[in-house]
Amino acid sequence: MIEVKNLTKIYKLNKKQMAEQKTKDSIKKAVDNVTLTAKEGEIYGLLGPNGAGKTTTLRCVATLLKPTEGSVSVCGYDTVEQPDKVRESISFLTNEIKLDPQFSPKYMFNFFGRLRGIDQKTIDERREELFDYFGIHAFEDKKIEELSTGMKQKAAIAVSLVHDPKVVIFDEPTNGLDIVTARGVTDYLKILKERGKLVIVSTHIMSEAEKLCDRIGIIINGRKAAEGTLDEILAQTGASDLEDAFFEYYKQYHKEV
Amino acid sequence: MKGAKIIIQKELTRVFKDKKLVFSLFVLPAVMMIGIYSLIGFLIGNMEDDVEQHISQVYVQNAPEGFDALVKESGYGETAQIEYLEAGEDTAAIQDSIRDGDAELLIVFEEDFLEKIAAYQSAGDAIPEVAIYYTTSGNYSTVARDNLEAAVLSNYEKLRLGERIGNLEQLTVFNRSYADLVDENKMGGEVLGMMLPYLITFMLFVGAMSLGVDAITGEKERGTMASMLLTPVKRQEIVLGKLVSLSILSSISAVVYAVSMIAAMPIMLKSVAGDAELPFSIEFSAVQVIQLIVIMLAMVYLYVALVSLVAVLARTAKEANTYVSPIYIIVLVAGMLTMYQGGIEKSLASYAIPIYGNAIAIQNLLLGELTLVQFGLSVGGTVLAALILTACITKAFNSEKVMFNA
Repeated sequence: MIEVKNLTKIYKLNKKQMAEQKTKDSIKKAVDNVTLTAKEGEIYGLLGPNGAGKTTTLRCVATLLKPTEGSVSVCGYDTVEQPDKVRESISFLTNEIKLDPQFSPKYMFNFFGRLRGIDQKTIDERREELFDYFGIHAFEDKKIEELSTGMKQKAAIAVSLVHDPKVVIFDEPTNGLDIVTARGVTDYLKILKERGKLVIVSTHIMSEAEKLCDRIGIIINGRKAAEGTLDEILAQTGASDLEDAFFEYYKQYHKEV
Repeated sequence: MKGAKIIIQKELTRVFKDKKLVFSLFVLPAVMMIGIYSLIGFLIGNMEDDVEQHISQVYVQNAPEGFDALVKESGYGETAQIEYLEAGEDTAAIQDSIRDGDAELLIVFEEDFLEKIAAYQSAGDAIPEVAIYYTTSGNYSTVARDNLEAAVLSNYEKLRLGERIGNLEQLTVFNRSYADLVDENKMGGEVLGMMLPYLITFMLFVGAMSLGVDAITGEKERGTMASMLLTPVKRQEIVLGKLVSLSILSSISAVVYAVSMIAAMPIMLKSVAGDAELPFSIEFSAVQVIQLIVIMLAMVYLYVALVSLVAVLARTAKEANTYVSPIYIIVLVAGMLTMYQGGIEKSLASYAIPIYGNAIAIQNLLLGELTLVQFGLSVGGTVLAALILTACITKAFNSEKVMFNA
């Protein structure tokens, strides 16, 4: 279970960053008092436009960032107090986190398995299963820098799951993938759910969220706009689909800023 | 510790599986070092041969009787083309051509040279003069002058002196004999002691510099560092793994440099000195070898920590390289200081100064004069500095601002 309580994350910007973001404020509130809950056996979708604070929230959950205010707990462990325990139980995949281009998928899989203290037999079994599912065997010994975007993404997903984590956090997992590969990834997320894992995905593709997610949290401008099942969200806004519902919230929350 | 070990294995695999990297890190420097030194030796040798074989253009005015005969007898004429001038001829044009490098030497004997020598009676009488015109620019003129003075002029002087006083032995009241009791080890140590500390300090740094930036800033930039930070492995272990693997690689690279340098040095000296005996005879005791290795390991650790701290704080590899350059210059200067401070007595405290202290310790070691206290201070000071840097690196690894630019 993941519990995000009153999470606020403030970045201090240096002059260069202020110029880049065309702002005169030296601080930026990326996430503002957000509370979310996600449970085992569900796929939780974090929805929001670019720059809404999705990635920052997920990075806080993954222990890479420390909350400025509020707290995050994963499987009962606080991300600041016991980050090691949290890291043991999660898998975190984003576009910015990559595998070493000079190594093969097989080497990276073994490397991260060993780094996480898993015995070689279990690593081999996990590798067989994941490489089979994602069809990685064909290029498992090729250097990652020689692979296509889709192959790289498949390898990254497989490697991130080496330790059979209880919680899987994927930041825009189908971004840049062709339709077939994307389907393979979302299907695997469903398999994980059936195995009782908690899966969190962030996305701005509404149709994907509609089909995939059991519960949805909408973040706009760093603040939580809504949280619930698809039906609950549609009922609240009276919209006929998620996209319309999203724009209802967007109008409401974007104006206030 | 297990995590650190796995990271070390991966880092070493990364380098040694990459043939291009192995070539550029370990093979190319050796080839280049030997190539450059051989080339320098070849060029210096060539230059010396050229000076030896050059036929000088020499002018002599008012040559006194017997001078020409002495020139022929001494063999000076083989390396010089001599032209005799009459008295009163204007030499301004010749002086100009010496200045321009077209001629080498002009010798002007005073008029009535022999008569004036013969007329000398007692102190205060006129002594005739030989004016020698030459130039110190270029090598030919000074060599022509030295040869002429040694082979012709001094003999001509002895000849005339003999005529005046009869027995030249009257001028010698005693003979000198010389015996050089130099300890060849110490002499070899001095030659090496001047060069090696300097070479070692900067060669170690070069290795650490090229590898450290890629292994840390490169990983940050490529986004591969974050995947490691997501594992439950302690940050200290990741830092340890990085530092140890970098230390191993820079040590190997330093050894490659040092070995190729030592291999190249005789090649260079040989082409300069011909078949002359080389002043390279040096023997180390086991203790000295161990001390040298310990000092170098401490330095490797310090350099790697220094580069790593810069690398972890920099946002891009370009930025990291910019920051490393001034440190590189400081290291160069610290090493160079020891080259030109041979005789100066150093206070004990200066041994504890990282980099500089190591360089003077290595220098003393090569001379066989390193005390245990100096050794301890040198290693201790360096390791302490490196430990402080390591603590800073670990702190930086824990900082989200540094690692994720947040």
